[in-house]
Amino acid sequence: MSNHSPESDDALGARLRTELRRYAAPAYLRGSIGQTAEPPRARPSWLAPTLAAAATALVLVLASIPFLPRILPADPTERLVRSVVAEHTRALMWGARRPEVVPTALPWLTQESGIGLRKFFVGDDRLVFVGAEPVYLEGRRGMALYYRDGDGHLVNYTVLPWPGLPLPESRRVQIENRWRPALMNDSGFSAWVWRQGDLACFIVSDMVSESDLERFKDYFVRLRLATEPVPAN
Amino acid sequence: MASDEFHQAALEHLDALYNFAMYLTRNPPEADDLVQETYLRAFRFSHRFQPGTHLRAWLFQILRNTFLTFYRLRERESALAEDGVPAWDAPMFHDAPEESSGAVEAHTDLERALRRLPEEFRTVLLLAEVEGMALEDVARVLACPVGTVKSRIFRAKERLRGLLRDYTKE
Repeated sequence: MSNHSPESDDALGARLRTELRRYAAPAYLRGSIGQTAEPPRARPSWLAPTLAAAATALVLVLASIPFLPRILPADPTERLVRSVVAEHTRALMWGARRPEVVPTALPWLTQESGIGLRKFFVGDDRLVFVGAEPVYLEGRRGMALYYRDGDGHLVNYTVLPWPGLPLPESRRVQIENRWRPALMNDSGFSAWVWRQGDLACFIVSDMVSESDLERFKDYFVRLRLATEPVPAN
Repeated sequence: MASDEFHQAALEHLDALYNFAMYLTRNPPEADDLVQETYLRAFRFSHRFQPGTHLRAWLFQILRNTFLTFYRLRERESALAEDGVPAWDAPMFHDAPEESSGAVEAHTDLERALRRLPEEFRTVLLLAEVEGMALEDVARVLACPVGTVKSRIFRAKERLRGLLRDYTKE
């Protein structure tokens, strides 16, 4: 084969080198990998006696734990799950603040929440749609959709704008060879967490037993397939 | 190689690895995950890296193997396969369904044609032509003899030329 025609091996190689876009790693990715790479700091000499004193203090602190306020987790995903669960608990106890019946309320809901729904799960024989409302969690506006199943479990689907929310690899569960959401737990509630574009999505319910989790997985599939949230412009 | 030194050296290849991941997954969040997983594995198994060998090729090898691990998972899903060749652009890392709007669109015929190549052809072109890797390093990434790499490059270019001709006719 001649290597001098416009489609020669050399020419094609040159086109690949020059015409293809090059993608640079985003800064946040560089930052998060850089943090992973940081070596643990050397242990200073004064640490051992300090640790001994701290251990004694710890015993005292442990005794007073029931009286201490709850400490927020440092991990952003866990913190976010805690907020979503707290919101779920509120809805469970007091009901939605302003439940709206979609789709009539969609424009209002989109305006209030900053989240649009290209499509959404309207309910079926297993899950009945209860209502929808805007939420404000961790300083961000979002949207919550509520469903109830035949056994009375309240299932809460929450969407918040959160680009690049990290998902703990160890918690991720393969579902139907198609999705890998993380299964988190907080305060006796289970939560599916995943990213959809720049949005962080959560499905929360009080289903925690092994048989309940299978059903919870099924609810994830139903909601995930039929709901497509997007940031509203 | 000291741990610090290793981390620094590994991070120098971040952009190249991300670029490769983008062409494999075509989806920024999946490319993020793939690159993060690659570095996690590289740091965890840094003791297995033999100083003096090519770090860049080693990192690319980890990235590709990680990609294929998830890719093969998807491959078993018959709905995604046609004529034994899986739909390579189906997401393999997590939650985005295949109709996801998160995928990056191809802007040129060359990009479109490259995407239509099977993974082993696409990879060999990206490594040898785009990244300018030596054939020996490409062979290491692909875990195959240099002769196989040469033949794959040849066949990949043949296929690419054919696709580009089709686009020209259209």
